[in-house]
Amino acid sequence: MAPSPAFFRFLYNEIEEVGWEHLVKLKEDLTSLSFRILALMDLIFRDKKGQPHMLEIELSQDYPKSAPCISADVPYICQLQWSMKSRLKDVVQQFRELLEQLQEFWSTKCEIDRNLAVVDQKQLLRATSCCQINLGNNSYMMISVNPRSPKSLPECRFFGPDSEVHSLLKRWRRNQSEWADDKSICENLAKMLEMDLPGPSYGSKDEQVDCGICYAIYLPVDPELGVTSGSAPDYTCDNPNCRKAFHSLCLRDWLCSITTTKQSFDVLFGTCPYCSEPIAVKVDSSHGTTK
Amino acid sequence: MTSSSAPSRKALSKIACNRLQKELVEWQVNPPAGFKHKVTDNLQRWVIEVNGAPGTLYANESYQLQVDFPEHYPMEAPQVIFLHPAPLHPHIYSNGHICLDILYDSWSPAMTVSSICISILSMLSSSTVKQRPADNDRYVKNCRNGRSPKETRWWFHDDKV
Repeated sequence: MAPSPAFFRFLYNEIEEVGWEHLVKLKEDLTSLSFRILALMDLIFRDKKGQPHMLEIELSQDYPKSAPCISADVPYICQLQWSMKSRLKDVVQQFRELLEQLQEFWSTKCEIDRNLAVVDQKQLLRATSCCQINLGNNSYMMISVNPRSPKSLPECRFFGPDSEVHSLLKRWRRNQSEWADDKSICENLAKMLEMDLPGPSYGSKDEQVDCGICYAIYLPVDPELGVTSGSAPDYTCDNPNCRKAFHSLCLRDWLCSITTTKQSFDVLFGTCPYCSEPIAVKVDSSHGTTK
Repeated sequence: MTSSSAPSRKALSKIACNRLQKELVEWQVNPPAGFKHKVTDNLQRWVIEVNGAPGTLYANESYQLQVDFPEHYPMEAPQVIFLHPAPLHPHIYSNGHICLDILYDSWSPAMTVSSICISILSMLSSSTVKQRPADNDRYVKNCRNGRSPKETRWWFHDDKV
């Protein structure tokens, strides 16, 4: 059942109230695609800092009886206040309020991006509240900033060589009471971990470690290598004085090529080519045994 | 003597190629003292000039090393031999084969062409007598069909020289 001309008059009226200048895209009469959706529109708004934000509004068949669906690149969406008398401009008003509420969250994220060694910065969306931070010594921290309370103690996980992770966790737990909501997140993190955190350029180029066997950061892109094709070193020697990084694939190839390697079930036992300390790698999985 | 001792080899794997290019760059930036890489466009065979260290039995002498890389370098050691004439040394056979553990059983991908060169020079430098190994004639006769030193079962009896 196609929408009536009266519906469009009604819709244009509503857009007029919001302001045509915000409208980027409008798709009317999507009944051919889906019975449920009458219209789909993309609107763009700027927050107080001038940053543009896209809002997608979907009007269903029984609009305006039921509230429109909205989606946007935000960590959480507000619960829409909607009644029979509500109009699109009310939705927009609520979205704008949400944007202002989120300013502190975004500035916290911005602060992290600007001061710390964030991994994969390019892929970060505004909605993402997690980010992975390189702490040096092959260890990483995954923090999840609470969008509703960005200054409070974030959830956190550590990755890297066991000994390093253990020590980071110990410091993190010991200093939990030191977290001060009125201090910047970087100050707080440095205090919690009792160390200077590496800056944004760390790890991106110079610090990115080559595999100790093939001397490359990334394995060749080759369908024969399956999931490991093009991947970075994923195994680090546990010996704290060595810490050499390898592709587990290279390590496996090396261990398979010498006669002193022992195998037990699917694990190869041998020694690190650099420090000769014992190492263990799985035979056919794409990952090393290091967590 | 022609350097025919390198058996027909498979081309270098992608990983080997990549690693060798990096080793070559590193060599050019920071060459080991006493060595000169003879520039060719063959990445799979390097010919390296060795100059005996001053103050040793081989001072003012110059030799040539030939380094051939297997398809799966660095999982396998390169084949390293002296081109004719090979230096007179208790661990170097007259056909250029070198009795040095890191070239065979003790190879590890942590080593590089550069580190091998340094080991060879140190082996030359610590020699106190210029002579062939005791079993030179027998060994060389056995290798006459162009066998690679990597196929020899080596006994590394003496770690002093």
